[in-house]
Amino acid sequence: MRDEPAVSWPMRAVAILALVILLLPVVIVVLAGLNAGEYLTFPPKGLSLRWVIAFLSSPTFMGAYLYSFVLALVATLISTVLGTLAAVYLSRSRSRAAAILRGFFMLPVVLPGVVLGLALYVFYVTTDIGLARSFPGLLIGHVLVTFPFVIATVTASMVGFDLSLEEAARSLGASPLTAFMKITLRLIAPGISAGAIFAFIVSFGQFETTLFLTVPNHEPLPMAMYISLRYKFEPTAAAAGIFAIALVALSTVVSARLVSLRRVFRA
Amino acid sequence: MSDIRLVNLTKSYGEGNAVSDVDLAIEEGEFFSLLGPSGCGKSTTLRMIAGFVRPTSGRILIGGDDITALPPERRDIGIVFQNYAIFPHMNVAENIAFGLKLRKLPKAEIARRIEDSLRQVGLSGYETRYQRQLSGGEQQRVALARVLVTEPRILLLDEPLSALDKGLREEMKFWIKDLQKKLKITTIYVTHDQDEALTMSDRIGVMAKSRIVQVGTPQEIYERPKTLFVTSFIGHSNVVDVAVRRVADGMAVVALGGSELASRAGAGLAEGAAAKLVVRPENILIGTALREGDARLPATVVSETYQGAIVRYRLAVGDQEIVAERQNQAHVERFAPGTAVTIGWAPDWSETLLA
Repeated sequence: MRDEPAVSWPMRAVAILALVILLLPVVIVVLAGLNAGEYLTFPPKGLSLRWVIAFLSSPTFMGAYLYSFVLALVATLISTVLGTLAAVYLSRSRSRAAAILRGFFMLPVVLPGVVLGLALYVFYVTTDIGLARSFPGLLIGHVLVTFPFVIATVTASMVGFDLSLEEAARSLGASPLTAFMKITLRLIAPGISAGAIFAFIVSFGQFETTLFLTVPNHEPLPMAMYISLRYKFEPTAAAAGIFAIALVALSTVVSARLVSLRRVFRA
Repeated sequence: MSDIRLVNLTKSYGEGNAVSDVDLAIEEGEFFSLLGPSGCGKSTTLRMIAGFVRPTSGRILIGGDDITALPPERRDIGIVFQNYAIFPHMNVAENIAFGLKLRKLPKAEIARRIEDSLRQVGLSGYETRYQRQLSGGEQQRVALARVLVTEPRILLLDEPLSALDKGLREEMKFWIKDLQKKLKITTIYVTHDQDEALTMSDRIGVMAKSRIVQVGTPQEIYERPKTLFVTSFIGHSNVVDVAVRRVADGMAVVALGGSELASRAGAGLAEGAAAKLVVRPENILIGTALREGDARLPATVVSETYQGAIVRYRLAVGDQEIVAERQNQAHVERFAPGTAVTIGWAPDWSETLLA
């Protein structure tokens, strides 16, 4: 017996085609990064690790990679805490304000990144609060962009959460905080982990919003790749892409193990 | 072990009251049921006692201590939920240890108490199982063990049997009652099931539309309903229109289908009032079964339905209909449809209530 309903052949063909189209750029980047030639071309002129080594030994690219990693890590940490708190509140409050707030928090997902970045940049500059082109300013942008993902995944895991579990804990002698930490948090942990990984991936690959907020001489990886390609059409950027793809793929595999993604997206 | 006092307990939500002026005194060691249809306020009352809902006004006293303002964790109350609320990420032993660890008991003491409580609920050897490996009945036993192991002052049960299938429900009914008797713990049991309330309770408080409408022993509630609501909610009753002729000494004489009948008189009944006569089908006697002093009136058999242990008659009395149920035993007379019969009942087993 099969759990899944049978998928018709035309649907399968469309699905396979879509998958190929989605994966093709990834394959091209990986192959281009392994190019033996002088320039970024496809198909590659033979395979070699030349540009991978060039990436690993380039202070600009390695610095950018590390910078992006640290930025994504800090942004994820903040987004995860804030997003979890927000999701718990939003899923429990029945007030109209909560519905409006949810829409507000989700705005950065809908809004073009360029618009958000520009808005933040103009805000930083006109208010002159010292955030323009600073790490905290960039971090705020990344938190805004990533924390809707945490809200979404944590909200999904709160759906069907039985409040009487928390009440049972309270009645057995637990303070509100203890009941939350020992019961609720433990049960929604998969949703939180998934949200954190999403946040990390989104922050690591963020480009449009970042464009307006980067600190001079401290470009995150996507910016560094863009700048490098503007001046020299070298496969180093593609090699950097391989490492970015590897990191994202790794996080996706980890998140798939932590939480059923199907459940997250169904909610 | 403590008594419970609810003083004018009220909860209002914007438009209306979920609970209005509930005044109750529940004795130490008593098994008290709050019985009523869904939405009558029984669960809200329970949740106020547990501390999950803050009363709009009124007070809650346990063993003389006013706990109205205390948070749930400081009330020392055990509650078992309808869905049992077993912590799914902890095994049975960890579930039971939860309250004990918060009380900072020594490890050996906790282990000893877990073992004792599992033996008490008949689940020895279940320590390492998880919620998903337990049946509904087992989950309920774990929920009870988890609560009782902390030795709460009172026990609250919120429709604990409604999620179980019928056979298990019957079994658990007596099991819970026995356990409660053995522990002598003051218990409030919320249910919409009259059978559960009648079988298990020392006393029952019937609730309707946010108020307590009658408090009494199961026998009082069943045999002496004070309002038409209680009559219709508990068991089946014939409710027929009658005219009140006289009221004296708690008894009324009423006119029904041309006959005058004596019955017990409900509160506020007066001569000439529009009233309903209430009599249960099993108390209606037919023909030679009638005794000296019974209220009597002529009727015609409309139909006879054989149901095994009982035989059910529909009887026409004037333009109204009365249902009678007779035990299907040796020597009990049977009546065919169309037969003219004399029916009646002991006046003390019927009630005339204000319509």
